[in-house]
Amino acid sequence: MTAAGPSAGPDAEPEGTGAACTGRLALRIGQRGGRSVAVEQFHEGALRVLRPHRLDDSGQVCFVVVNPGGGYLGADRYEMDVRVEDGASLLLTTQSATKVYRTPQGPAVQRTRLRLGAGARLETVPDQLIAYRDAEYVQDTVVDLHPTSSMCLTEIVTPGWDPGGERFSYSEVQLRTLVMMQGRPVLLDNLLIRPEWGVSGVGVLEGHSHVGSLVVVDPRADEEVLAAVRACAEAAARACAGPALAAVTSLAVPGLVLRVLGDSTGDVGRVLADVAAQLRALWCGQPPLALRKY
Amino acid sequence: MSRGAAPAAPEPPHEAWPDAGAPSWFTALLQLTDSALPTGAFSHSYGLEGYLHSGAVTEEHGLADWLDAYLDTQLTTTDALVVRVLYGDLPGVADTPAEMDALLTAALVPREIRQASVKTGRRLLELSRDGFGGPAVAAYRDQVDEGRCDGHFCLAFALVGRDLGVPLEVLLRAYAWSTLTSLVQNAVRAVPLGQAAGQRVLTRCRPRVEESVRRAMALEPRHFGATAPGLEIAQMRHEHQHARLFMS
Repeated sequence: MTAAGPSAGPDAEPEGTGAACTGRLALRIGQRGGRSVAVEQFHEGALRVLRPHRLDDSGQVCFVVVNPGGGYLGADRYEMDVRVEDGASLLLTTQSATKVYRTPQGPAVQRTRLRLGAGARLETVPDQLIAYRDAEYVQDTVVDLHPTSSMCLTEIVTPGWDPGGERFSYSEVQLRTLVMMQGRPVLLDNLLIRPEWGVSGVGVLEGHSHVGSLVVVDPRADEEVLAAVRACAEAAARACAGPALAAVTSLAVPGLVLRVLGDSTGDVGRVLADVAAQLRALWCGQPPLALRKY
Repeated sequence: MSRGAAPAAPEPPHEAWPDAGAPSWFTALLQLTDSALPTGAFSHSYGLEGYLHSGAVTEEHGLADWLDAYLDTQLTTTDALVVRVLYGDLPGVADTPAEMDALLTAALVPREIRQASVKTGRRLLELSRDGFGGPAVAAYRDQVDEGRCDGHFCLAFALVGRDLGVPLEVLLRAYAWSTLTSLVQNAVRAVPLGQAAGQRVLTRCRPRVEESVRRAMALEPRHFGATAPGLEIAQMRHEHQHARLFMS
C-alpha cells in the first residue's frame, strides 16, 4: 500500500539510497545473555553513535546519536535504520539539540526507519529541535511494530532561534511519524508548523512557544494506564515554572498520545520526563532516566 | 494583482452547466449538506466545547476565530485531502477507500474525534442505502458491514459525491460548508448566540471556505493529517470534562 505517503514503501532502507546522504546510520540490537547489545552497526558521513552504555541493570542498552557536523543545512539528507530484535530493549537519545540552519538549497530531511520484533522495546528521548531563521526541516519516521512490542517516542519543538530574538522565524518544521502494525497504520502523527500559516493563535500553540509530544504503543497501555498518565501529566503541567497545558488520549490500538504546550524546553521536557518515568517504573521497574550529557 | 480595490475576476465554472436549470446532482447535494440530514452532527462540537468551558470562546468573534483554526487544519489538511484522494486527485496517500479508511483512523489522534467521525459516517452510510445510492458508496458500506473498514464521515461524503457526479471542487466547498453550518448551529445553542449572530459568523466563513479549498488543492501527500496541537489538546481534555452538552 502507499498509505505511508511519500515516505512509504517497505524499501525505505538506507541500502541503495545512501549515495546522496549527508549521514547514514544503521543499528541492529539483539538480546544476548539477558542483555541487549548491538549485533550490527554501520555509520557513514555526518551521523554516528557514541559507545553504548547502560543506565541501569535492566539489560536495556543506550545509544547516543551524534551529528559531528553540529547541525543540519539546506538539502542535507540523513537516514537512520534501527532494528530492535525480539526481546531486546534500546534507549536512543541525542548528544545535543538538533539544530537546523538556513536551508536555501531545500529542506533538511531526516528519514528514520524503526523496526521492533516480538517483545522488543524502544524508547527515544531526543533533545529539542531548534530551527533557525529561514530553516525548513522535514523529519519523517516510519515504525514497524509487532503487536507485543513496546514503543515510547518523545519530541520537543522550540520556537527556534533568530539573531534578532524573533520567534518562529523558521519557514517550516514537520515531524511526521507513521506507526504500522502488521501492515496496518495504527498512528499517523503529523505535526506541521509553518509560521506563515499562523502559529501563536487559537488552536495552534494557544499563545505558548514550545510543543512536546510523547507517543506510546504498548499492549499494556489500557484505560487504567491512560488515567494514571493523565493524572501524572496534569500534575507535572501544574508544577511547571511557566503556564503549560497537557492532555492525553488513547489510540485505536493499545497506546496513548500525550501533547504538551509550554513556554520553555525545561517545562515541556519535565512533563514528558515525568510520564516516561512513570511508565518505566510501572512496566519495567526502571528508575527515571538520568541522562548525563553535559 | 496590483494594489487597489479592483474586484477579482469571477472564477470560470468547473464544468459546463446546463443552459437552463441546474446539474442533475444539485438537489441531492442540497439534501446531503442540509443540517436536517440526521447524521448526529448536532451531538458533536469537535473540541469547541472545551473552549466554551474554559471561557476562551464566549461570543461570535471568538467563535469565528475557533472556526478558522478548525477550517485551516482538520477540514483542510485532513478531510479535504481525503476527498481529493477518493476523487483520484492526490496519488501517494492511499490507493483504495479501505486504505484511506485505515489511515484516517490512524490520523485522527484524539479518541472522541475518531469516534465522532465513525459515528456520523455510519449514519450517513445507512442513509445512503435509500437516498444516495451509488456503486462507490455501496462498496464502502459493504466493507464497513463486513468489519473491514471503520466507516468515516468524510469518506462516505466523498463517495456519495463521486457517485452523484459532483465535481471535486464543488464537493470540497459543500463538505466544508455543511460542517461549518452544523458547528455554528451547535454554537448558537451552546455559547449561546442569537440566530442572527450565527448567520453573521457563517457569512464571514464564506470567503474562508474558498481560501481553504484553494489551499487544499495545492497541498501534497506529506501534508495529510497535519494537526494543530492546541485543538488536539482541547479535544483530548474534553474526554473527561464534566457537564458536557456534546459527545466530542
